[in-house]
Amino acid sequence: MSNPNEGIIFNIQNFSVHDGAGIRTIVFMKGCPLRCAWCSNPESQLMKPQLAFNPMKCLGTEKCTSCIRNCPEGAISASENGVIAMDPEKCVRCHTCADNCAPGALNVYGKNMAVRDVIDEVEKEAAFYSRSGGGMTLSGGEALSQPEFAVALLREARRRRIKTAMETCGYARYEDLKAACGYLNELIIDIKAFNDDVHKKGTGVSNSRILENFKQLVKDFPELPILVRTPVIPEFNDNAEEIKKIIDFIPVQGNITYELLPYHRMGQPKYEYLGMEFPYADKQLDENIMKELRPLERAANENFKKA
Amino acid sequence: MTNFDCCLSPQEVRIANSVDTREGRERVYDILDSFHMTTPFIDIERARYFTESMKTTEGQPLVLRWAKALMHCAQKMTVYITPGSLIAGRAGKFGRYGILYPEIDGDFYSILGELDKREKSPFNITPEEVDIVVTEIAPYWKGKTYHEHLNGAMPDDLRGVTYDDNMGLKSKFVVSETSSYRSALQWVHDYEKVLKRGFKDIKREAEEKMAQLDAESPVQTWEKRPFYEAMVIICDAIMLWARRHADLARELAEKETDKIRKAELLAMADRCERMPAEPAKDFRDAIQSQWFVQMFSRIEQKASAIISNGRMDQYLFPYYEQDIKAGTLTPEQAKEMLEIMWVEMAQFIDLYINPTGNEFNEGYAHWEAVTIGGLTPEGDDATNELSYLFLESKREFPLNYPDLATRIHSCTPERFLAEIAETIKDGSGFPKLINDEEVIPLYTAKGAPYDQALDYSVSGCTEARMPNCETYTSGCVYINFATAMEMTMHNGRMLKYGEEVVGLETGDASEFASWDEFYEAYLKQHNNLLVKAFRQQYIVDSLRPEHFASPLASVLHDLCMKEGMDLQNQFIPGGLEYSYFEFLGYGTVVDSLSAIKKMVFEEKKLTMKQVVEAIKDNFEGHEEVREILRSAPCYGNNDPYADKIAKEIDRVCQTYAEKYSKERGVNLDVRYVPITSHVPFGKVVSATPNGREAWTALSDGASASHGADHKGPTAVLMSNYHSKNRGMKNRASRLLNVKLSPKVVEGEAGTQKIVDIIRTWCDLHLWHLQFNIINKDTLLAAQENPDKYRSLLVRIAGYSAYFCDLSRDLQNDIINRTEHEQM
Repeated sequence: MSNPNEGIIFNIQNFSVHDGAGIRTIVFMKGCPLRCAWCSNPESQLMKPQLAFNPMKCLGTEKCTSCIRNCPEGAISASENGVIAMDPEKCVRCHTCADNCAPGALNVYGKNMAVRDVIDEVEKEAAFYSRSGGGMTLSGGEALSQPEFAVALLREARRRRIKTAMETCGYARYEDLKAACGYLNELIIDIKAFNDDVHKKGTGVSNSRILENFKQLVKDFPELPILVRTPVIPEFNDNAEEIKKIIDFIPVQGNITYELLPYHRMGQPKYEYLGMEFPYADKQLDENIMKELRPLERAANENFKKA
Repeated sequence: MTNFDCCLSPQEVRIANSVDTREGRERVYDILDSFHMTTPFIDIERARYFTESMKTTEGQPLVLRWAKALMHCAQKMTVYITPGSLIAGRAGKFGRYGILYPEIDGDFYSILGELDKREKSPFNITPEEVDIVVTEIAPYWKGKTYHEHLNGAMPDDLRGVTYDDNMGLKSKFVVSETSSYRSALQWVHDYEKVLKRGFKDIKREAEEKMAQLDAESPVQTWEKRPFYEAMVIICDAIMLWARRHADLARELAEKETDKIRKAELLAMADRCERMPAEPAKDFRDAIQSQWFVQMFSRIEQKASAIISNGRMDQYLFPYYEQDIKAGTLTPEQAKEMLEIMWVEMAQFIDLYINPTGNEFNEGYAHWEAVTIGGLTPEGDDATNELSYLFLESKREFPLNYPDLATRIHSCTPERFLAEIAETIKDGSGFPKLINDEEVIPLYTAKGAPYDQALDYSVSGCTEARMPNCETYTSGCVYINFATAMEMTMHNGRMLKYGEEVVGLETGDASEFASWDEFYEAYLKQHNNLLVKAFRQQYIVDSLRPEHFASPLASVLHDLCMKEGMDLQNQFIPGGLEYSYFEFLGYGTVVDSLSAIKKMVFEEKKLTMKQVVEAIKDNFEGHEEVREILRSAPCYGNNDPYADKIAKEIDRVCQTYAEKYSKERGVNLDVRYVPITSHVPFGKVVSATPNGREAWTALSDGASASHGADHKGPTAVLMSNYHSKNRGMKNRASRLLNVKLSPKVVEGEAGTQKIVDIIRTWCDLHLWHLQFNIINKDTLLAAQENPDKYRSLLVRIAGYSAYFCDLSRDLQNDIINRTEHEQM
């Protein structure tokens, strides 16, 4: 994105209480270098607007033909039993159909927004941030897929005295990560696996860059509160051995905390809306695993606290 | 289902039956079990003796007649002591019961025999009792009741928006009067006065005042003397009634074989001998004295939502502190006394014979609001150990009575807020919060002395009362502004009422060519309802004093005693007349205006003709039109487009109120608190341009339309902030419901989130707030009826989702998880 004052966002969510301190607004940025098989935000992966279709919201062609009428390319038609059919050959991604879909069954994930407009929206709930110690959290996708935009958002938020946090997968240029951290009150970074083969298999990329970035980061920002997170994913890292390795890798510093996030399937419907395959559709986390892993998390945090 | 509307307490008494909960609370559970979930009885004694006396005093000043009638009740009504209880005083027989007020509805008691069959809030009465009522009581009141008077006085043009029958019993649900099925608006007594002085001393004051009158003055001897006579009689009446309980307690003690119970009864006898005549000496005295006052108040009159309990943590604290220090009371014993009061309270049902009254207060609702926390009259924080004890009791024994209200201010202690949050998390909907930072400046701006404003009590649903300053007692008008929208769409008509022109003929809506034309038509309809409402209320206010008196409430009121005037008088010198008119359908109206403005006149996605046709057909065959209308900006999302319209509508109401409040010296200010009435009021309104289907509920209070708020609870608060004209003072309370899933408020971090929301709400100077922590039942209901629950937010680790956006499979996942958490 050449203009650092504009970027692509797919959601701004108020009243978020689990990603950073206090009551927060999360800005979800589009684009991600990873392709985690279990991804709960599949709409975040590509750095371009994407059309999605939620059949549960569609009134059916008997009651509504808005998309069919409005498509300039004639790419949408009524199929039998009132369901719409889209011809991908004819569709030119103009998204006129979604613009005219009142129930929101056709919906575009991702729109371009200026820094100022994003922060204006975030600032509307500032009364809650000041009381709760909350603020804005950049998330994604990977916020640093749009590094200049991300830094510009953080800079503007700080200028308006809005506290900032960022969630990152750590897979970014170190300069970008460093620049962003300069404007952060809090960083949330994932370490998904220590074993690189495991990491590659699950996420599509090597973890060497992530681990290198992380090592450098904790040196450069010894005061910045950093939350390291590991999503516990079935058939990926759901074993004590792997988690222990991750914890052992984290330097013992007082500014670090560690959190395990048990896998959930909440992203599933969005795969359907986007017409994507969900490789993890049938997978579930064994409940007993978390009982085994939580003590590791607790011990790690006690250890960090002592430092 | 889990629809905790307004201050309506959950209908099912939420009491866990496990042995653990009962342990240490056997006494209160035994009392509770004796009436829990039974159909209430009607006790006719109050009506019988009240009428007996009234028959003999015709022609005398009303306040005197009322006092004599209450004396007759005090002498004749059977007195009861609930088995196992430590507090004496009931207004009727054992179990759940309601009493009759024939001065309100005696002329149509023929329907009494059918009350057991009605769907909402049924009552039992024996055929013998029906017979007594119909032959002895009802005939006397025929032609004498207030509601007949009002019905007769109502001019035709007002009748058309008020009643749907000739009797004045069925509301039209357009401009509804609420004065004819209750004797007064919610009220709070100055209980502290009773506890500190006792009725002997109050009686002495009345005698002194009487002695000071000019015995030769025609005015004073006719206007004032009977009032003070009535004050003396009422003091004697309550003291006599109390002493009869002392006799009963002694009688019961004599027969009692259990030693412990015998001792308890003798202690009760001792207390009833002294209370409420003497000042309270200790905590138990204070509870008994207060209870006698509130129970006798119920015999006196049917104050809407019943007399509230006032600032209990304030006036009880000196006794509590003293007893704890002296070692004569433990916190557990104090809690037991209070909880006995709650189970006694739960047995008295606010019975509505009038079908309209019943619609407004479905589910045996009554609100003896207990106020805790807030500021002292000096402006310091008032929280004390007793404040915490009330919260603790609510968490441990979550009965649906009393309604617990906490006053919050900018320096409310963090610990108090955290305990409030913990109590809220319990999920029963308690406590509700009232904001000192809004109420006190507003009441002061309206003319209240600062120290009195600082000392307000929560009364009834969301109201604030200053027990020694305020003097307005009429039930207030409810205006269904969603009908103004409907009349705008149908040229002054409502589909429910056919060709009758209920409003104004503002023209064929499908011909409106601009937003200005449409909005002007709406404002005409809106204004017309205001005009009718204010005229109606004036008639109400002028007629009521001929029909109602309240000597007990008056004897406890500084101004009434000073001026020698009953509280039911239309004006008392120096009195503050703070009242309201109810705005029904705020979100419905705002969202409808927004939809028309945006979709018809700005984006031109629809024509007026299309909208008119769609709503006439209740959107059948116009599903697309409905969805387009629904996609307009809605109130409750912190969206300036909708909030600006909301603020404008609020301004229109306040401006009108200001003009005619000045003329009358009565603050009839705009309020947004429907109780449960947004449901019946919705039943007369056909489809509205916000996509709401015909006959369904209107939006509730100042909350968003059902399912229209999809930006989360913080945005709902912000919309309230942005839609209120804070520079104007002709506004009253706004009710605000916030629903959260238990997951959001899980653990210590969740408690802190509630605290943070409360702090911010306080900063925003919003009047009222209550939380619903959504449970499994609601999630199941949401699956059945996803449309209504579109805005239900569920939290999953790391991010949140709208429940209805999730697949069935995942919904079940969450439901099971919730259940798991509850285990």
